[in-house]
Amino acid sequence: MRERSDDTLETPITSMIDIVFLLIIFFVVTAQVDKDVVDESITLAQAKNAPAIDAVDPRSVTINLNKDGKINVALQPMSISQLQQLLLAMRTQAGSAIPVLIRCDYETQFRHIDRVMQAAASTGLYRVRLIAEATGG
Amino acid sequence: MRRKPPEQLNVPMSSMIDIVFLLLIYFIVTAREEVTEAHLAVNLPAPGVAKASENKPQMMEIEVHPGYLSVRGMRLPIQEIANTLVRLGKNDPDITVLVKVNLSARAEDLVTALDLCSAANLNNLNVVTLK
Repeated sequence: MRERSDDTLETPITSMIDIVFLLIIFFVVTAQVDKDVVDESITLAQAKNAPAIDAVDPRSVTINLNKDGKINVALQPMSISQLQQLLLAMRTQAGSAIPVLIRCDYETQFRHIDRVMQAAASTGLYRVRLIAEATGG
Repeated sequence: MRRKPPEQLNVPMSSMIDIVFLLLIYFIVTAREEVTEAHLAVNLPAPGVAKASENKPQMMEIEVHPGYLSVRGMRLPIQEIANTLVRLGKNDPDITVLVKVNLSARAEDLVTALDLCSAANLNNLNVVTLK
């Protein structure tokens, strides 16, 4: 009897490793989903002087705008009126201090950016930020 | 019952290393280059507010065209505009800069103009459409 209890005290390494790998796979998969919110098809314009941002307000809305003027928010394609509704909903929820970020391709024409800006302004969000790639110090 | 010999407790090292290397290669392959972002804040014309700011005497206007910038219709090299902005920023950092953008200008051109203002410490930027 005493010898049996001695046996069960040994750590089951194999099953522990199983669980550790399951955990690793879980984190790998969820981290990937989080990253995909950024639209990879967009190449940002370069800003030499503007300071790099290290912390982004978690409330902020990022509007991706590709070079053909197509809009998506968190990879979900939207028309300008859908965007307006989304901004309006966010504004009623979180107030007009909510940061609106426009992430546009360097080739996007201003007529497309202007449409997004007008949508923001029409919902009472008068301050927007353009995202660029910080290349300087 | 005798105790198990100690070598039974050993972790299977070679297979574990196999898996660890697979994970390592996976991360190396999927790693993306981290882009450091800069955020250029601009004000949009709001009804009423735009009129008030136009009455402000201290204001600088830049026009953004596809591929070049101009001031009061005169095309100027970027370095010259940068110098003017830096001088203005030293005099009065609260001065309003009105950035008028041509509809066919590209985001690149607008970012160039906003970046120059940012370099001159001018943060009161209004973006309007050039008519």
